[in-house]
Amino acid sequence: MSDLTPIDDPLAGPYFQAARQGRLVVQRCNACHALRWPPLSGCPECHSRDTAWVDVAPSGTIWSFVVYHRAFAAELKSQIPYTVALVELDDGPYMVGRVIPGPKPPAVGDRTIAEFVETSGVPSVHWRIA
Amino acid sequence: MPRRLGGSVAVVGIGHTVQGELPDLTAEQIAVDAARAALADAGLTRTDLDGLISCKSVQGDGGDVATGKLLGVNLPYVQTLDYGTCNFSLHLAVGAIHAGLAETILLTYGANARSRKVDFGAPVYGVDLAEAAGLVHIAGRAGLALQRHKALYGTTDEQFGMLAVGQRQWAAHNPNAIFTKPLSMEDYLAQPYLVAPLRRADITMISDGGVAIVVTTAERARELRQPAVYISGIAEHAGIRGEHNPENLMRPWLREAAGAIWAATGLGPDDIDALYIQDPTALWSLQMLEYYGFCGLGEGGPFLAEGHTLPGGRLPLNTHGGQLSESYTWGWLHVVEAVRQLRGQAGERQLDAPAIAMYCSSHGFVKAAASILATSPDVGR
Repeated sequence: MSDLTPIDDPLAGPYFQAARQGRLVVQRCNACHALRWPPLSGCPECHSRDTAWVDVAPSGTIWSFVVYHRAFAAELKSQIPYTVALVELDDGPYMVGRVIPGPKPPAVGDRTIAEFVETSGVPSVHWRIA
Repeated sequence: MPRRLGGSVAVVGIGHTVQGELPDLTAEQIAVDAARAALADAGLTRTDLDGLISCKSVQGDGGDVATGKLLGVNLPYVQTLDYGTCNFSLHLAVGAIHAGLAETILLTYGANARSRKVDFGAPVYGVDLAEAAGLVHIAGRAGLALQRHKALYGTTDEQFGMLAVGQRQWAAHNPNAIFTKPLSMEDYLAQPYLVAPLRRADITMISDGGVAIVVTTAERARELRQPAVYISGIAEHAGIRGEHNPENLMRPWLREAAGAIWAATGLGPDDIDALYIQDPTALWSLQMLEYYGFCGLGEGGPFLAEGHTLPGGRLPLNTHGGQLSESYTWGWLHVVEAVRQLRGQAGERQLDAPAIAMYCSSHGFVKAAASILATSPDVGR
């Protein structure tokens, strides 16, 4: 996943550093306290650039999901079929992540719990169906 | 709200290249070939132009400077758009004509993404976290929206498949179409998922090709060789907060463009004789049928299953086969087909004297646009 993963990106880096420690974090504006995800270089609500990274509950609900049967990038070939979900976090923001294969296929509305998985040295949040 | 246009601007020329593979041609060469065809169709030459609006391909080719060099024109008004679908180019031309910046404007689009083997699995908007999780290619986000639609409204594969199957039926009578082999519902359902719940037939295939359109004032249009096709109304709406919008993949902001186009023309869904929806995936058609009010929100599945959008139905949809069966060309050929149908030049697939056509498009998951075209300048007045 190295080509696609912005692990050293100044904007997204803190997410990966937290995931490595088993924490789920998003951005919060220090001026108006709005949470935001994906990360942005400033707050779209009040335009403050004073930003903190804060822990959020590692749980949410599947808004939707897709199953890739085709690898659109060489590094994904060994991983198909794989499932990606858009999860609505209990704390508000939407987050895209892999779904960990389980005993039953995922469904819209399923409750999910974050797990922190390191693949080829890249930590990220995956979702297990609760 | 957009002002009433009342047919003050008209499409007077349409042209395109062969769609498919155009190896060894640049995007600008392809655009110039299409421009020659459009000018010939209008009975004009490049010396009759006073404006050029070129559209960049996704790869960034086709800027006005590069295109203008090859066309060999210096003009009072020149502009480049970095996004396609033709609607945005058409709207910019209407604005420029109304402001008096130009009277007769050539719109161009050329692309050679197929022959260049452009990697559409690569991140489109730069590296991002969703793509890092494997959510690559437009099929990923479109699939998420379709899965949500299925869960909320009970939309089935058979209902959604009516789009791909229907587009192939229309394409069968279009000599310009790349995919003309019949696709039955059984064939469709037998296709494996590419990105479930989407199959191959639900997604456009990348092809090379160019399209050009000539737009001018209604007064000028009446002196030219083709029957004028008048622009009755235009509207746009942008959801440029993108993924920071709640429910953004459902593109709720399409509703704003829909409200604006009906208000700007005084028309409604029942007035539309032929509908064109830009369809890089069939999901676009499902969403726009609903938001523009051709059926209720969530009712797209049963509406499609009733066959209204097929040949012989009461709402002919993409009578050329659209992006699913005709070619990739980013919605531009939807406008060409609408003009052909309104002129009565659509050959075997000609509808019975359509008077009003509508074209709806969107740029990815951020921008919506719609235009209504008519045979009479009085529509939308």
